[in-house]
Amino acid sequence: MIIDILSGGVRGGTSLLFAGLGETISERAGVINLGTEGAMLVGALGGYAVTFHTGSPWLGVLGGAAAGALLALVHAVLVVSRGANQYASGLTLFFLALGLTALFGVDYVSRQITAFTPVKIPVLGDIPVVGPVLFDHDPLVYAGYVVVPLVAWVMFRTRAGLLLRSAGERADALGVNGYSVVAVRYAAVVSGGALAGIGGAHISIAYANSWFENMIAGRGFIAVSLVIFAMWHPVNVLLGAYLFGAALSLASVLQANGVDVNQFALNAIPFLMTLVVLTVLGKRTLRKAPDELLKVLETAKA
Amino acid sequence: MTGVAVGAPRRTAALTARTGTAARWLAACTAALVIFSAFILANDVDPLSVLGTIWTSVLTEPRQVEQILVRATPFALAALAVVVPGRAGLVNVGGEGQVIVGAVAAAGAGMWVGADAAPAVAVTVMVLAAVVAGGAWAGIAAALRLVGDVNEAVTTVLLNFVALYLMLFLILGSWRDDAAMGQATSPEIGPGAKLPLLGTSGVHVGIVVAVIAALVIWFAFTRTTWGFRLTVVGGNPEAARRAGLPVTVLLLSALVLGGVLAGLAGYVHLAGAEYKLRPTFGANIGYIGFLASWLARHRPLAVLVSAAAVAAIAITGNTLQISAGLPAASVNILMGLVLVAVLGWTSVRKADA
Amino acid sequence: MTAPSHRRPPSRIGAPPALLDVVGFTKSFGDVHANTDVDLSVQRGEVHALAGENGAGKSTLLKMIFGVYEPDAGRMFVDGQPVTPGNPAHARALGIGMVFQDLRLVPALTVAENVALSLRTGFRLRMDGLVRRIEEASRSYGLDVDPRAQVRTLSIGERQRVEILKTLMAGARLVILDEPTSVLAPQEVQSLFEVVERLKAEGLGVVIVTHKLNEVRAIADRMTILRRGEVVLNAVAPADYTDGALIEAMVGRAVAPLPRQRRPVDPAGRTLLALSDVRTDGDRGYEALKGIDLDVRAGELVGIAGVAGSGQRELFEVVLGLRPLTSGHVEVRDVDGVPARPRVAAAIPEDPVADSVVPGLSVLQHMVLDGREVPRKGVGVDWAEVGRRTAEADAKVGLDIAAPRRTLSGLSGGNIQRVVLTRELSTFSPVVVAAYPSRGLDIANARRTQEVLLEQRAAGAAVLMVSEDLEELISMADRIVVMHDGHVAGVVAAADADRMALGRLMLGGAA
Repeated sequence: MIIDILSGGVRGGTSLLFAGLGETISERAGVINLGTEGAMLVGALGGYAVTFHTGSPWLGVLGGAAAGALLALVHAVLVVSRGANQYASGLTLFFLALGLTALFGVDYVSRQITAFTPVKIPVLGDIPVVGPVLFDHDPLVYAGYVVVPLVAWVMFRTRAGLLLRSAGERADALGVNGYSVVAVRYAAVVSGGALAGIGGAHISIAYANSWFENMIAGRGFIAVSLVIFAMWHPVNVLLGAYLFGAALSLASVLQANGVDVNQFALNAIPFLMTLVVLTVLGKRTLRKAPDELLKVLETAKA
Repeated sequence: MTGVAVGAPRRTAALTARTGTAARWLAACTAALVIFSAFILANDVDPLSVLGTIWTSVLTEPRQVEQILVRATPFALAALAVVVPGRAGLVNVGGEGQVIVGAVAAAGAGMWVGADAAPAVAVTVMVLAAVVAGGAWAGIAAALRLVGDVNEAVTTVLLNFVALYLMLFLILGSWRDDAAMGQATSPEIGPGAKLPLLGTSGVHVGIVVAVIAALVIWFAFTRTTWGFRLTVVGGNPEAARRAGLPVTVLLLSALVLGGVLAGLAGYVHLAGAEYKLRPTFGANIGYIGFLASWLARHRPLAVLVSAAAVAAIAITGNTLQISAGLPAASVNILMGLVLVAVLGWTSVRKADA
Repeated sequence: MTAPSHRRPPSRIGAPPALLDVVGFTKSFGDVHANTDVDLSVQRGEVHALAGENGAGKSTLLKMIFGVYEPDAGRMFVDGQPVTPGNPAHARALGIGMVFQDLRLVPALTVAENVALSLRTGFRLRMDGLVRRIEEASRSYGLDVDPRAQVRTLSIGERQRVEILKTLMAGARLVILDEPTSVLAPQEVQSLFEVVERLKAEGLGVVIVTHKLNEVRAIADRMTILRRGEVVLNAVAPADYTDGALIEAMVGRAVAPLPRQRRPVDPAGRTLLALSDVRTDGDRGYEALKGIDLDVRAGELVGIAGVAGSGQRELFEVVLGLRPLTSGHVEVRDVDGVPARPRVAAAIPEDPVADSVVPGLSVLQHMVLDGREVPRKGVGVDWAEVGRRTAEADAKVGLDIAAPRRTLSGLSGGNIQRVVLTRELSTFSPVVVAAYPSRGLDIANARRTQEVLLEQRAAGAAVLMVSEDLEELISMADRIVVMHDGHVAGVVAAADADRMALGRLMLGGAA
């Protein structure tokens, strides 16, 4: 059962991982996006619809990324170009996504798709404990293993990452060096949305293998919180995502093992856990926050 | 820096600014409607006939107008739950959870006093339970803010889900009404606990509560020392701290008062409209209230208008479902678009100095 | 307004064109004329000082040269060729580099990363190569910096060197330094000037903004003085003018020195402010005050000197009760000697815009934010009474604040400072803490502010004041406490204070 929970953590945490990485990029540039929940929703539907029509889950991933990126683009326009409140804009987009996916998703409820299936990696998959936990999953889980170091590399070893971090730490330093803060933030928010869209697509085409209204059920909000206590570092996001993935899959694992617990009490656990971790790490994490983001997070200092 | 003879040009400037704002609002709403129509069209439904049906059935029938007012009541209170913390610079995204917790507490209190309790007793106990629960729920976020420096926008939204699962836990568990065949609901509240209707209309007295709440908050903001101090904290907390204002108390009071108002919204929705808790109880009231509050730019009296407007949109959801076969949640698009347009067209760009 | 097209860069026939020629720059913001028909000419191998009071239009001129603002009228020539820098990137391509007063470095990045930001190298950051290039460049210009250090950990002087190095590595031929000396200790100023001399010897042009005449005389070949947006002295040799003449050119009238004669501090006077072994943490968790002992008596003015970021801000915040102590004791006493709430103190904050201004509120509404009881009428504020008190305060302090109904956030920095000063200094407070009280003010208002602070001292207040201007501290204080890295590095009687000795203490050396 422990192995089931750990394996479920990796599988269930993959959507959080993608969304969390996306939000990390966005927040590193100084923009918080509560619309991550919405980007995951449209990503889930976009991924499902494309997979349904093309029969290819890989194209579905692209569809999910495109849908998430489009929604995040609206956030970028409102927040970066129009100076709108980041929380208000994010929540509005979540709401917009709720409506859009309800309207366009109605045709896809209880439709069958060719979803991603687990691919056991030879040799590695046979290692006891580690094998089933890490190497017997759908391809998107493996993609997650690759994306984390990739994002970290871009962030800390390339010019793109340098611009990203500067935009979040001190925006006016970009301007004097001839770069556009606006362009950097657009790129960050939109690519963040694309990653969140992939995270959403993982849920619909690899995890639940179905589409239903409001299927993200708060994972996007957990991803946003995750980024804060991961202190804006991709590797920490990976650890946090799997931890919360385990909490999210706890209910189904326990039920599958015939343990009789109230499902709704279990469903609340990831959210309670997030609150507790945020509080415990609170002040320590904020010291690591990018300066420009801190202005948004500390709307009122007590 | 001379103050001579600038009065006249400034007045015309203000006037053009005002007509400019009105024009932007009009453009924003039109754009939202056009995009919404495009989405409907994409679903093979004729947007003009849908909008026509909405117009005739929603805004011209007195029964529907009453429905709008009933729906607007919790929206207005939930919007005020955003307005008050907003004045202190706090972002309360937790209306959703605070509404649910308020209603859950009210329902619990109703069950505790019994279905045949005297109306006065039932109402008093239920209202108290709702406001205390709503306030406490927001108080958790306030406490986390003060203790751990955790951003309240993040905590309040997480608490929404905890509240939802708490309610589901209860109505699918110990509170489940066996009389309701197969449906997961709590028992209906007693007849004495139901809010009376206004005269012969279908509108319950909750709307009076909402209007009074808006008036009281408007008065508090503009005419009291507390309101002034809240404005200072919201505008520049560091300045407030340096002026020796009790910043912690002010922040706490604003967020808790927001929770109280949301709890009240949960109560009026329960006692005035739903009478029992179901799995979908209160769904989106908090979020729609959040939108309504931003639509009204956090002005307490304007909230009454924006709440009515979003209620009208919400009501059209039913029409849409019945007449066009589209999911009721589709109207969330229209609501979202209106706010996107409003945020986009009316936000002031920060001067890039 | 159109540019007078007949005007050409004023160069003599046969002589090579100047490195930079600005002709007739004009810029207005609303009805404020920031620059009117301003000329500026800089030769290769020249150090050109740009001087003028706060608000004289120096920053506007520099920002137009650097492409941040677009001039309403006027032309600009580099090497005799007409140019229009539309943005900083273009200005940099023309070889113009600017070191802003508030340094535009990213504190969370390393020195090398900050340099990388300004260079157009490839997508991958090849840090090792860059570090070597920085080390080479820093040797050849005598700019000592560690390329791997995080900028956050550097002193202001070091950060300035990074900025200059960055500018040079990006290929600047004209380096503009906006008030570089205001945040430095005298020794650091000296080493900065050595760097400037080196740039000059290499044939670069340097524009340095300063209003300290000793600095102008020490470094500048020529100087240009602006007053109210207009050039009053154009590219003159400083040696041809007396101090009095230059000051008069800047202010428009002669200013008498602050009277030196004051009642001495009563050695038996009560101690109204007492700090013992005070320790506290800064915003990012490091220890900002490392055991401060300090007493200020009634009728005494103690000046705090130190390089920016040595703990001055945190010291003021612990005195005002705004920052929790990690150990030690702060006591603020009322005139009768009884311990009192911190708000017995009047406070002039370090950054009035960030610390005092509430957006959207009027001057009048800001006047009640002084920490005292608000006059009440029923459940609300008695604004009529506040208005009366404001008029009284303005008459008494004499800084001529803006109309009570004006929105404070819409006013200039100097006007905001005047409102804050009027609010805090119109009544007697046993303890007065003032950070950079005359910052952003013109000379007349700065003088009046100094007088008001001395009046508070004469009335028996314990005054604690931070200033970056050592002359101001020496002329006003009874004692000068020098801070370095969260410690008290030394205490000097103002009467026998020596600039260079203070500078050594500021840098952590022995007096």
